[in-house]
Amino acid sequence: MNNVIEIRNLTKNYGKYRGVSDVSFCVQEGDIFGFLGPNGAGKSTTIRSMLGLIQYDSGSIRIMGMDSKMDKEEILKNLGYMPSEAMFYPSMKVKDVIRMAAEVRKQDCTEEAEKLCERLKVDRNKKINELSLGNRKKVSIVCAMQHRPKLFLFDEPTSGLDPLMQTEFFELIKEYVKEGATCMLSTHVLSEVKQYCNRVAIMKEGRVKCVDNVAHITKTSAKRIRMVRDGKAEDFLYEGNLNELYKELMGHDISDILIEEPSLDEIFMKYYQEEREE
Amino acid sequence: MGTIYKHELKLGWKNLLIWGICVGGMSFACILLFSSMEESMKDMAESFASMGAFSEAFGMTQLSIATLAGFFATEVGTIHTLGGAMFAAVISTVMLSKEEDGHTSEFLYTLPVSRGKALTAKWVAIGTEILAFNLGCTCLYLTGFAILGEKMPMKEFFLYMLMQVMMQLELAAVCYALSAVFKKNKLGVGLGIVLLFYAYDLIARVVPDLEKYKSVGPFSYANAADILSTGEIQTGAAVFGAVVLVLGLVVAGFVYGRRDLAA
Repeated sequence: MNNVIEIRNLTKNYGKYRGVSDVSFCVQEGDIFGFLGPNGAGKSTTIRSMLGLIQYDSGSIRIMGMDSKMDKEEILKNLGYMPSEAMFYPSMKVKDVIRMAAEVRKQDCTEEAEKLCERLKVDRNKKINELSLGNRKKVSIVCAMQHRPKLFLFDEPTSGLDPLMQTEFFELIKEYVKEGATCMLSTHVLSEVKQYCNRVAIMKEGRVKCVDNVAHITKTSAKRIRMVRDGKAEDFLYEGNLNELYKELMGHDISDILIEEPSLDEIFMKYYQEEREE
Repeated sequence: MGTIYKHELKLGWKNLLIWGICVGGMSFACILLFSSMEESMKDMAESFASMGAFSEAFGMTQLSIATLAGFFATEVGTIHTLGGAMFAAVISTVMLSKEEDGHTSEFLYTLPVSRGKALTAKWVAIGTEILAFNLGCTCLYLTGFAILGEKMPMKEFFLYMLMQVMMQLELAAVCYALSAVFKKNKLGVGLGIVLLFYAYDLIARVVPDLEKYKSVGPFSYANAADILSTGEIQTGAAVFGAVVLVLGLVVAGFVYGRRDLAA
């Protein structure tokens, strides 16, 4: 598999504020790559560095085999980006914004734009200042997808979208990826990562804490234990040898017990708690 | 690049129209008033010319206000000079900063266009708007002269309008460099710079010690009274203005091409 995104030792400082430090990870062709982390973890800084919106201090970013600084224009030709705050020129009509995005790319995207507007139920004759955040997000999706790029970059794409549109959005992503595209998306919504992403990077305090397959991350030795011991209900995350747990439970009155895989949310939280304890 | 240029013109045409109507319209009305004021102006001309430093500052010692050229230089010239400079400052001070102020930078600069190209397109749009503004005003003034049927030194008039374009471009370049630095729209700073330069020019014309520093300001080579009375421009001041113009654009390109853009 080719690496579509290769980030090596990316470091960016904002004076006294922390940016990102020594960030390294790769996104492979055909991936739907989840980029997880709490607010201020450095997700947007990483994405904005990739797009050339901010100048990073050290490290390297290669996208589709090209250097993000030297070949920025060429990279952006084959990239569709959707920012977390989908903002456009308020006095413009939706159709003019979509047309402008296509014209700058020197592409005729009419057919694809029409298809996307239909599926996402975008009213092209409305003015931008008449749109809610969700509707602006939909316009942003059309702008990011209409030229059928090789790489999608989404910063918190589903915030503001209703559940039906969220599903439609991921359906579109799956279709484009099936046709050979690659997608990287930053999100807080763990269920989205579990449901749609195959690989994930977890960021915390400006550093990458883990990059792995979603399936591998969820396959952990920790188990969620729910039981009724000596008439008292208990619910906890157990990490260790199950034989030890059995031994501990012997001699107690266990009226009910359920042992299950922890959710991605729990694994994610565990990561953070561990880090805090360290 | 062409798309961004067209986009900027689309965004700016209302602004251009409003400023054009206000400045051009006011000046046009002022020109038409000349015939009704001509007689009384003859009586006032002498007293206007003998007000010492005040007369000098407004060029009333060089031209008689009782003639159309003198009236134009002292009355219409002031409106057009100040109005045109303010228009140039308004459009250029927000030209770059509006992308971050309106949170549209993530849309525009993630399209496949380099910052250098976007900067060029935006500057060309500023230049086009300034040209259109002055062209519109020139047409209105010529119509005014035709209605009046008075004789106006045309070569001097066109030279004055040409220098107005140059002066507005110089001020626009200074404000464009400021726009590259600011992350928020700072319209007040642009307008403040215009008023500061204008006040500097008036003071430099009145205070004899400042005479040799007059050419530092952009208003020095675009003064209506100077041009209409002599038919010449202050070459040194104009060259200095051209240097400031180029410097403003270089600073804008250098700063904007390297700095982090806010979301």
